Amino acid sequence: MKILLVEDEPALRSTLIEALRQGGYVVEVAADFAQAYEKVKLYRYDCVLLDLTLPDGNGLDLLRALKAESSTTGVLVISARNGLDDRVAGLDLGADDYLAKPFHLSELNARLRAIIRRRRFQGQNHLVFRDLVVWPEQAEVQVNGEALTLTRKEYDLLLYLLANPGRVLTKEAIAEHLCGDSVDAADSFDFIYTHLKNLRKKLQEKGAENYIRTMYGVGYKLSAE
Amino acid sequence: MKLLTATNRYYVLLSAGLFALGSAVLYVGVNHAVRSEVSEQLENHRRELEARVASGRPLPEPVYRAQYSLNTRPRPTGYSDTTLLDPYEHELVPHRQLTFRVLRAGQPPVWVTLRKSLVETDELLGAILSTMLGVMGLLLLGIIVVNRYLSKVLWAPFQRTLAQLRGYDLQQHRALDLPAPAIEEFAELNQALTHLSRRLVADYESLREFTANAAHETQTPLAIMQAQLEQLLQLPALAEDAAAAPLLADLYGATRRLSRLHQALGLLSRIENGQYTQAVPLDLAALIREKAEQLAPLLDARGLALHLHLAALPPRPLHPGLADSLLHNLLHNAIRHNLPGGDVAVRLTADALEVSNPGPVVSGDPARFFERFRKHNAASESPGLGLSIVQHICAYYGFGLAYEFAPAGARHTLRVAFGPARTPASPLTRAAVARPAGL
Repeated sequence: MKILLVEDEPALRSTLIEALRQGGYVVEVAADFAQAYEKVKLYRYDCVLLDLTLPDGNGLDLLRALKAESSTTGVLVISARNGLDDRVAGLDLGADDYLAKPFHLSELNARLRAIIRRRRFQGQNHLVFRDLVVWPEQAEVQVNGEALTLTRKEYDLLLYLLANPGRVLTKEAIAEHLCGDSVDAADSFDFIYTHLKNLRKKLQEKGAENYIRTMYGVGYKLSAE
Repeated sequence: MKLLTATNRYYVLLSAGLFALGSAVLYVGVNHAVRSEVSEQLENHRRELEARVASGRPLPEPVYRAQYSLNTRPRPTGYSDTTLLDPYEHELVPHRQLTFRVLRAGQPPVWVTLRKSLVETDELLGAILSTMLGVMGLLLLGIIVVNRYLSKVLWAPFQRTLAQLRGYDLQQHRALDLPAPAIEEFAELNQALTHLSRRLVADYESLREFTANAAHETQTPLAIMQAQLEQLLQLPALAEDAAAAPLLADLYGATRRLSRLHQALGLLSRIENGQYTQAVPLDLAALIREKAEQLAPLLDARGLALHLHLAALPPRPLHPGLADSLLHNLLHNAIRHNLPGGDVAVRLTADALEVSNPGPVVSGDPARFFERFRKHNAASESPGLGLSIVQHICAYYGFGLAYEFAPAGARHTLRVAFGPARTPASPLTRAAVARPAGL
């Protein structure tokens, strides 16, 4: 899966490239508007990660250019501008999602996957992890062919873990993913713990292994080992 | 009182005073002139009679008793005023009279009284006075009418300036464009106001720019830090070092807090700058339900029950971001400062939104709960901006915000009145020396 990353901050750019490559994506990079414009005109991408404030232009113009040729490329806006108006402007122009800086890399991963899933497979995609299969469009989960009933939050949590296999997910990232941006970390740890406990229990009842590892003091990780 | 009414009042008072004084002086003056004229005529008649007696001719017999009478008995001589009855008109008529003694050779002296009716002079006085008073009255009326007219014509530029000021909205990022009227003072006023508004717009713009830039410039390095820390957490080496990972996680959490603090401060300053002008009709009850669902995990984790009493209300025009922030902070406050096994009660009525929860009694001035960086527990992770944001949003929409504490059940209530602030209804729920603590 090919991603174009448009970001002018070198440090953030290199970190994002690394994280995305670890996630199994092919990553192309543009550091400014002109480069990005050239690349989207020449090549096809599954998704564009678009920073709005670029040294030589506004990312929204790139979004307009993409939409003008009705490209199937997904667009995920990443911006330090967190005003509601900016969000609305981005989404109105046809961006698939909007992520305000600073964001969790795991959250970025989860949203990226959701966009690509919607764009490429028209929703007929399923995620497989060992004996676990999830159909996101139907919100169905199966363990060894048996349906698993999860609560909304447990399902969201599982999907989040599946979007980031092998990656340490911090408690903050999980809490914000489940509860929205503005939940303070201190409040959230106990409820994450409850949901995780329930999820593990349900998975184990269906005979699945315990893939969810606890990283003490840090967070959790979905691991095959 | 209008400026012109005030000046007018002084003018009219002055004119009325002068008017009264003028009338008095006129009356006395004319009266005096008329009487001295009459006295002079009587004196002339006296000289004529005396000359006649001196030349040896007898005094004429009186023809008109009222005007000329002779008396052989002594009478006080000199001028005096009297009234005589007019036998035909049956009314007392004022007269001026002159009595003098006439000595005739070989005959006893005789006292002659000459009289002249003052009735004609009264009429004269009346005519003069009424003319004068009429003219002065018209003058007075004229002043009022002219002033009223001038207030409309001369003060029109002032009224226009006022109307433009009233309709002035900094949000439009436009300086005032006031014309230069012919009246110098108004031209100067307009010039000063235009200048002032230009500076206001410039200041406002630079402040807005600063806020936006500060937010952007701070979030970017934070984003770098956070992303790199998160990458660092993925290093396999960390799994072997049990002490390093929690340190990194703390650092990671700290960048998150810093970012959240920055967002809250940015929100506060944007509210203060009035950058949330767009409003859409919002169904508050639906919004509260949505928020409650979002916060459900928090409620569950703490074992808190949620009671919603939401009246179906017509949509209220609010900025969606601000409404969301308001509800979020109110609910979050109630969850955070709750007791284990407590509850959060949300009541929405046509005129108020109340969020109440049981909680420990805390001391302090309720008015200060809403200040920035006020928090109940100094060690708390939150920066203490939640209630400050609530207060700013309430102030922005003109909502009243009141904190009440009911000792019975130790319930803290935050009440957002969709109208100006009201005092608590019952003495039991009067704002006490307790609070749910700042966020």
